[in-house]
Amino acid sequence: MDRVAADDEKAFTELVRRFQGRVTNLVSRVLNDRECADDLAQEVFVRVFVHRRNYRHGSKFSTWLFTIAANLAKNEIRRRVRRRNWFSLDALQDMLKDSVIQLADPTESRETTLEREQLQATVERAIATVPEKYRLALVLRDIEGLPYEEIAEVLGIPGGTVRSRINRARGMLKRKLQPLLTTKAGTP
Amino acid sequence: MICDRARRLFGACWDDELTQAERDWLEGHLASCAGCRTEYDEFSRTLELAGSLPRAEAAPGLVDRVLARTRRSATAPDVVGETRGRWVPAFAAAAAAVLTVAGALLLLPHSPWRTPTDPAAVQVAGVTGGPAVATMVSQPATKPAERTGTSPRIEAGPANDVFDHNADVEFILDPVTLHRGHATVTRAGSRRTGVGGGQAIISF
Repeated sequence: MDRVAADDEKAFTELVRRFQGRVTNLVSRVLNDRECADDLAQEVFVRVFVHRRNYRHGSKFSTWLFTIAANLAKNEIRRRVRRRNWFSLDALQDMLKDSVIQLADPTESRETTLEREQLQATVERAIATVPEKYRLALVLRDIEGLPYEEIAEVLGIPGGTVRSRINRARGMLKRKLQPLLTTKAGTP
Repeated sequence: MICDRARRLFGACWDDELTQAERDWLEGHLASCAGCRTEYDEFSRTLELAGSLPRAEAAPGLVDRVLARTRRSATAPDVVGETRGRWVPAFAAAAAAVLTVAGALLLLPHSPWRTPTDPAAVQVAGVTGGPAVATMVSQPATKPAERTGTSPRIEAGPANDVFDHNADVEFILDPVTLHRGHATVTRAGSRRTGVGGGQAIISF
């Protein structure tokens, strides 16, 4: 990051390459909109570049990066709420289908592939319906795997609040997935 | 009550944050309570499902697009500074105008802010193309009976008056020096009377 602050373009390119996947995944899961996630990921790195000299060396770079990403994702959600222009979840499911097929195991049967896709789509839909403040904490913890302390820094809230938000988010998600769990729980 | 306590530990158990004693107690309870065991299985399954979603890959060409944008932003002028520079003089000019009008109102003969005994008559003049000058010309206060006399008696203004109304006084509201964040209005003293001037600093 020192090199980036000193306008080293190579260093910045390397930084974008290293973190682009994590940033895209985070905003994609929070927004549940792949196309918008790409634009937002781009915006995140532009912000990193613009504010490169504001980065404080005391904190982890990933924390700072996720803070920017989380704030932009929150702004985007609020913008959508204001405009009442929610994207169609069915359209999202169609969009996601392509990437899911690409990642599918080539040896699995067509039926298994279809079943797995449906399951993933249901989980994505369930996550998308968790309220924003709980969803962000949930995605950062259970999808991105950030430690609680880092999530507290990213969201700018106390550690206790992070824990309670994640607990509530997990409970909400579990209730939303209940029909799926009752048939699937206990199966290997 | 015991089940509530057990269910409160599910999150910490999943995050591997339980002490050994807590873990032993929870496992013991799950072995004997079918309800909590089912609950924990569903809880675990939920988090497994969330964690097993395929990762969204970055769009191809993201690095190039970011670099193109950062190159553009690096050469763009600092619009923040320009914006600030535009509104500061405008605001300061408005503040100076308000001060001028307020000053003029104070000097008007029928102004509600003037004391009834105030004898001054005021003339406010603006000089075009140059510094704005508000000139107050003080007229001698005379009693009606004295108006026809040959040697009118000139009375001084009341004690609370800050100006010598027997002499002409000029308010020179220029130069207006603008600094970022505040405006300084220098009010020079009268050229003719030598009355000392003051400085008004408007901060906003």
